[in-house]
Amino acid sequence: MTKVYVTGMGILTALGDSLESNRDGLKEGRCGIGSLEGFSTRYADSLLFGEVKRSNEELKKLLSIKEKGVSRTSLLALHAFNQAVQEAGLTNQNISDKNTALILANTVGGMCLTDELYRDANQRDSGSEYVASYDCGSVGIYLQQKFAMHGIINTINTACSSSANAIMYGVRLIKKGYAKRAIVGGADSLAKFTINGFNSLHILSSGRCSPFDVNRDGLNLGEGAAFLVLEAEQHTSDKKKLAEVKGYANTNDAFHPSTLSENGDGPYLAMEKALKQAGLNPDEINYINTHGTGTENNDEVESKAMIKIFKNKVPAFTSTKSNIGHTLGASGAIEAVYSILNLLYQEIYPSLSFKESIEATRLIPEQVYSKAMIKNVMSNSFGFGGNCSSLIFSKV
Amino acid sequence: MFYIHHTVCISPQISFPEVNLDNLLTSIDNKLYAKQVSSADIPPAILRRMGKAVKMAVSASGPLLKHYTNLDGIIIGTANGGMEDCIKFLNQIFQYEEGVLTPTNFVQSTPNAIAAQLGFISKNKGYNITHVHRGLAFENALIDVEMLLDDNPAHTYLLGGLDEISDYNFNIEYLCGYIKKEIINNSELYTGKTTGSIAGEGVAMFVVNNNKEGAISILKNVKTIHTTDKNEVLEVFKEFLFNSQLQNDEIDMLLTGENGDERYITYSELIESVVPDAIVARYKHMLGEFQTASAFALWLANYILQDQHVPVHMVKKQTISKPLRNIIIYNNYQGFQHSFMLLSKV
Repeated sequence: MTKVYVTGMGILTALGDSLESNRDGLKEGRCGIGSLEGFSTRYADSLLFGEVKRSNEELKKLLSIKEKGVSRTSLLALHAFNQAVQEAGLTNQNISDKNTALILANTVGGMCLTDELYRDANQRDSGSEYVASYDCGSVGIYLQQKFAMHGIINTINTACSSSANAIMYGVRLIKKGYAKRAIVGGADSLAKFTINGFNSLHILSSGRCSPFDVNRDGLNLGEGAAFLVLEAEQHTSDKKKLAEVKGYANTNDAFHPSTLSENGDGPYLAMEKALKQAGLNPDEINYINTHGTGTENNDEVESKAMIKIFKNKVPAFTSTKSNIGHTLGASGAIEAVYSILNLLYQEIYPSLSFKESIEATRLIPEQVYSKAMIKNVMSNSFGFGGNCSSLIFSKV
Repeated sequence: MFYIHHTVCISPQISFPEVNLDNLLTSIDNKLYAKQVSSADIPPAILRRMGKAVKMAVSASGPLLKHYTNLDGIIIGTANGGMEDCIKFLNQIFQYEEGVLTPTNFVQSTPNAIAAQLGFISKNKGYNITHVHRGLAFENALIDVEMLLDDNPAHTYLLGGLDEISDYNFNIEYLCGYIKKEIINNSELYTGKTTGSIAGEGVAMFVVNNNKEGAISILKNVKTIHTTDKNEVLEVFKEFLFNSQLQNDEIDMLLTGENGDERYITYSELIESVVPDAIVARYKHMLGEFQTASAFALWLANYILQDQHVPVHMVKKQTISKPLRNIIIYNNYQGFQHSFMLLSKV
């Protein structure tokens, strides 16, 4: 079967707006989580966020956007998209070709404009400039129109695992021959809507999140975007291949709308099936970029599932959410980019804010920067509604 | 390419539990609301707590999940999911000035809550996904299932498409110009010369696999394109026909998503001109316009292939009476998201 390679990546997070700045931030163990500056909400000072420190105006200027009605989510997406297609050396003609798919993941859409949405939804006199930009589909449609794309275009929303599924869908389209290449990724911006939603569930940390720590008390919401260019083996002979997408799986925990089952059936099955799909044994995984949100439920359940799969030899693991917060629909793609940086540079970045392990599982994330031999990396993403996904990237 | 075995549709027309499409039920204030159906399979106390979209999906899936207890996954297309819950939560944020809010509406507002709820009810730990790409959300779900069945030929999946009307998305779509400014009756949807359509909602669920035995129909091809260029739509349609390995005169019926918006009528007319021997039928007067209306179209085509009868109010152009074997569904959402599906009788 056709192998699928990553030939370009783009990223924008609280750590920076390029691959280099993100890698530097990860190497230095920098935490991009802090107070919210971009918009007003009751929680701007009391909670901490992984905010992209560029205003909408700055982003529009940077991206030469003059048209109206472009949401922040679309701006973040465009920035990461541009980097990815540039690194892969795609021309505008390549991008608009009918054999190029665009698969985007998104959970917030234009709802980052919570105030505008509230006004538009409650009146029928005249709409704001954003009236057609609220739904999840709006971000992918914006990119499709901007680049006049003619291939298969899709948007996936499986909550926090959305962009892992976008990557998976892109790989499958290529393997089936429905596309020669797929530009896949995710974008989400901070929104009053999600801040209040997660707050009402009491899973937001009072400080910086501390994944896998015994005293962890929740997650930090973040924002950002990442894209990967995936190409079929036969079209990459003259290209630099950054990694191979070797394994992937999507499962459901079938337990509760917002909590994982005690033993993590969904996470376990996702990791197990991804290994099987990749044709790898558990001991061939050298590093795991965990879902690791820092909530009481996730980290313990994910630990149990890892122990069940890897027995007493759980590979080196970290949670990059300790650097940038939980970027929801973007997190799967952002963490895929980070995983590929691990592979490319043969290095492991420190997980932050960890002090003491969880009693029941005793797993300890990597806490210092180190060089390492890494052939295969696993990246986990689990979401509300029990939507679990696991991806495996391999060194080329 | 896969077979459709079992379907349930809850729509503004009489489609569940019995089906009677000859009597057209009418719209009120440019809205066609889906009929409220209570499911015998789900306790009323649980149903009551669900938002409309989840309730519709659960009610429609009830009989299917009861019959097929060993499904391999759940694939849903919905542009907005539980819009009512989303807006209820939004209103809470403003009403209580971001104070202490109840999370129920928030959790139900995420579009994946529908597939999740179905997975939860059926204890299904298999593949579970929600496609939300506006007017092509359902078509992407079809492509997904097609790929899944190619990789797992022995699997059986639950596939569905749905969206709901809430006061809020009605307002937003009105502001976008998707809804007619004047109030019309759905029976006269195609007679006016104005922009916009009428709002609608509904759910169609399908049990699909690779097994011909006992199947009603086979979905032979699906194709999507984003464009406003009429010639390109035409070219893609011709390519679709070519890839479907059918002669134009083998298309017995063309079911179009004409929606009463004068801006988009030419797309349908162009497609009609390619298959002059086909019966031309329309469906949006039965359902209204919404992003996943094509799921209803697929259910309808499947029903018509089984029933071999086309309700009079659907017919735009009649041809000589002949057995219905191949139906092409052409849908277009707001003039730029187009899809073609070919459904054939088994």
